[in-house]
Amino acid sequence: MSTRKLNQEVFGLWVNELIARQRVVGVQAKEERFVFEPLSKAEDLRLDYDVTILPPKKYLLPQRENLMAFTAQGEYESRLEHEPFILFGVHPYDVVAISQLDAIFRAGHYDVHYMTRRRNATIVACDVQKASAHVFASSMNTATVQDGFDLLLTKIGDDYLADAGTEKGEALLALVPGGVEPAKEDFAKREQVWRTNQESLGKHDLKCRPDELPALLAKSYDDPIWEEKARLCFSCGSCNLVCPTCYCFDVHDDMNWDMQTGTRTRSCDACLLNEFAAVAGGHNFRRHPAERYRHRFYRKGSYIPNKFGFVACVGCGRCISACLTGIANPVEIYNQLYAKSPDIETSEQAALPEVSPVTERTLSEDIYAPQAATLVQTRPLTELETFYEIRLDSGLELGHEPGQFVEISLPGFGEAPISVSSSPTQRGTFQMVVRNVGNLTNALGKLVTGDRIGVRGPFGSEFPVHDVMKGRDILLICGGIGLVPVRSAINYILDNREDYGHMTILYGAKTPADRIFADEQRDWGQRTHVTMLETVDDPDENWHGHVGRITALLPLVHISPENTIAVVCGPPVMYRFVLEELQKMGMSDDSIYLSLERRMKCGVGKCGHCQMNGVYVCQEGPVFQYSTIREVMEAI
Amino acid sequence: MNKPKVAIFDFAGCEGCQLQIVNMEEEILDLISIVRLVEWREGMSEQSEEYDVAIIEGSITRPQDEEKVRQIRERAKTLVALGACATDGGVNKIKNRFDLQEVKQLVYGADSALPHLDSAPTKAVDEVVQVDYKIYGCPIDRREFAHVVRSLVMGKRPEIPNYPVCVECKRKENVCRYEYHEICLGPITRAGCDARCPSFGTWCFGCRGSVDEPNVQAAREVMERYGKKVEDLEDRMLLFSNKQEARG
Ligand SMILES: Cc1cc2nc3c(=O)[nH]c(=O)nc-3n(C[C@H](O)[C@H](O)[C@H](O)COP(=O)(O)OP(=O)(O)OC[C@H]3O[C@@H](n4cnc5c(N)ncnc54)[C@H](O)[C@@H]3O)c2cc1C
Ligand code: SF4
Ligand code: SF4
Ligand code: SF4
Ligand code: SF4
Ligand code: FES
Repeated sequence: MSTRKLNQEVFGLWVNELIARQRVVGVQAKEERFVFEPLSKAEDLRLDYDVTILPPKKYLLPQRENLMAFTAQGEYESRLEHEPFILFGVHPYDVVAISQLDAIFRAGHYDVHYMTRRRNATIVACDVQKASAHVFASSMNTATVQDGFDLLLTKIGDDYLADAGTEKGEALLALVPGGVEPAKEDFAKREQVWRTNQESLGKHDLKCRPDELPALLAKSYDDPIWEEKARLCFSCGSCNLVCPTCYCFDVHDDMNWDMQTGTRTRSCDACLLNEFAAVAGGHNFRRHPAERYRHRFYRKGSYIPNKFGFVACVGCGRCISACLTGIANPVEIYNQLYAKSPDIETSEQAALPEVSPVTERTLSEDIYAPQAATLVQTRPLTELETFYEIRLDSGLELGHEPGQFVEISLPGFGEAPISVSSSPTQRGTFQMVVRNVGNLTNALGKLVTGDRIGVRGPFGSEFPVHDVMKGRDILLICGGIGLVPVRSAINYILDNREDYGHMTILYGAKTPADRIFADEQRDWGQRTHVTMLETVDDPDENWHGHVGRITALLPLVHISPENTIAVVCGPPVMYRFVLEELQKMGMSDDSIYLSLERRMKCGVGKCGHCQMNGVYVCQEGPVFQYSTIREVMEAI
Repeated sequence: MNKPKVAIFDFAGCEGCQLQIVNMEEEILDLISIVRLVEWREGMSEQSEEYDVAIIEGSITRPQDEEKVRQIRERAKTLVALGACATDGGVNKIKNRFDLQEVKQLVYGADSALPHLDSAPTKAVDEVVQVDYKIYGCPIDRREFAHVVRSLVMGKRPEIPNYPVCVECKRKENVCRYEYHEICLGPITRAGCDARCPSFGTWCFGCRGSVDEPNVQAAREVMERYGKKVEDLEDRMLLFSNKQEARG
């Protein structure tokens, strides 16, 4: 790769040449601050900037982007931005942040919206010329970069050294009108700039090494600092929204005035906002400001490092200037925690895993695009719940395992995660049950046989019907619509009866009118080696069965704990009590499986909504072996 | 498509919010194409008995108005409060902080005893009848109004933000007003206006009312950080604070 030296005049001509050929987004002044904006002439470029208000991320993961267009008839068409552009003047810490986002949006499910924009971007990095008030890149090893850019500019004296990092960068260099081969002392001057920046971009000084953060945070979960600081938190999300490594998003549908077409947009979200982890019905999985406040520091310093192998803070200092009450400074928090536990042992350091291998897919494949499906049967089960049988219009099988879920789409209403309720042994169609609690579920309730819906998935983990459940007795404990996903396993087991031992099904509903699948429950109870027990919280005069909480049924069943696998699925409040009872009965945590619910948007491990601490429920769950999440504080 | 019947009523207010609707220009035709406007003093005169959606602008300041609002509620499947006066009492509520007779004397002088100038403490619409949805702001935001109408036509609960104006302000990459040492109510005010005021270079005066759980204590402590007095903040909050209890 080559390096050129450009004097000011050549530099200006070159930038104008680039603008004439391509869309160039560059750093410009906005009042007293700086922003990345489309550049119309070289003079507007301000490479002497300290930091931009928003990171250049906004051109890769826009504040708001059109994901797809849809029609009321349920056709979805992905919108991808193919226009090539140059991001001009990106500071090294922001280059590192972009590399992190690349890894995240490529890993696992490939995000074609981000990646298309990313492939079309040429990154012209620029070494920092003026330190901002709060930068601490020196502490995060992000003051200078060796890769992640296509071209790197370094100001030496009045000239720029331009160093190509890739073929794309080389192509830009080829457009330099003039310019000279740098001399030896030019390289020496650049070394000097790098050395200076590595020291001087440190307005705050992190006392521990960045790779020690996961171990430090492992000890700090219950520290009083979270409550103390969050007392002054506005839950305004500014710290997230200005961060170059934050990438959580929300998705919304909007219908146009014609009521026939609309757009599905995604917008940057913020985990500090009050309702980030709230679900329909009012439960909020991170209700207290301190829980949300803590989450950000853990995500930067623990969850993402443990998952991807890098600390998700590049030391740009933006959150520090954005936070009005002065509580968002990561260095301040980490240093205070470090002062309390200076003895983190290297052995405790989280082993930083390799970034998961990239699966390049064809560009047309959009993980967010639903496929068309038709309702072949709809039937009310209770006042609130409706049963659906669905066939994919492609004629293909859904291909799910018991316990998995799909994302159901309705044009204008968005998406909702819904469990598959039928067994994979049922061919041609699949079934689900939906409780009417909000916008999408309400609209779904109005559909009739023959109507179309959109389906993505199947997603998530499954009940272990293929391995650990085989040959064992099975104890299934379901509250309310928790029976819906478990029914998939029940029917699978009944269809492969000889592979499993005795099956006990416990089901609790609020009132007799709330019971679902009552006929099927009767049939299940009549099969050999099946025990079916039911209870309701509030009986009516016609109810002759058990009354009380589901835990009251447990003493009635006799199991051999060593040979039993238990599955629990129900409302959030149910788990703790059932787990206690199961443990009393001698069940080990390895033999208990839980199916958990969280707010979800993407279903594919990107949007961040479903996280319980570092665990993505949409990917690693919804079915968990209890022993694997016992230490996950936000789980139960 | 069966067009829903929509009626718009105005009570005490400047009618600025209705003006926002009139100002929707081309979009007003789009609006008429999906709803049937049956009662709207500002725009037409036809009278109707029942409404799918009744939209009320303005706050309720007279006993006879309370009766009228109750009638509207009875005739409406869905009731929407439009603009700060209707959602929170708005600027009109400031009078509740003073003695009513004094206010009347001040405003109407010698005429203050005349019966048509009968005035009671200002109420937001939901202090009189149940309100299904609120379109906040003084004046309202046209985009949000359009969103609410389209949502209601679809049978969908409109998505009204419950996060602070700072969110939208940051998305628009504004320079924060606090950098100019101005007191901005953005951190405790409900978003949805696309950070209108900071985007025009001035502070947010809180016209959309506060988020559900505003951290007022944090706002107070911010004053110190920026060399301001807590009283300055409180003065600023008075204009649209929905915490003012009726006196007198
Ligand atoms: C893995 C999983 C399986 C589920 N299976 C079923 C099922 O089989 N039957 C059923 O009736 N319900 C199920 N739910 C709950 C269902 O997803 C929510 O009730 C639904 O998303 C509410 O959407 P809404 O638009 O009607 O409500 P709104 O309140 O309008 O919700 C708006 C948005 O918030 C999010 N959201 C709200 N509540 C939830 C929630 N509980 N879980 C996840 N996201 C939420 C969604 O993105 C939703 O689109 C499941 C949830 C999860 C996580
Ligand atoms: S930490 Fe600061 S910036 Fe972040 S949400 Fe709280 S108040 Fe807002
Ligand atoms: S956490 Fe703060 S300092 Fe770190 S990358 Fe994000 S905005 Fe920058
Ligand atoms: S200008 Fe106001 S709304 Fe915008 S970020 Fe600053 S405080 Fe928040
Ligand atoms: S910025 Fe504040 S005052 Fe201005 S329109 Fe929005 S809520 Fe009202
Ligand atoms: S990360 Fe989006 S739902 Fe799990």
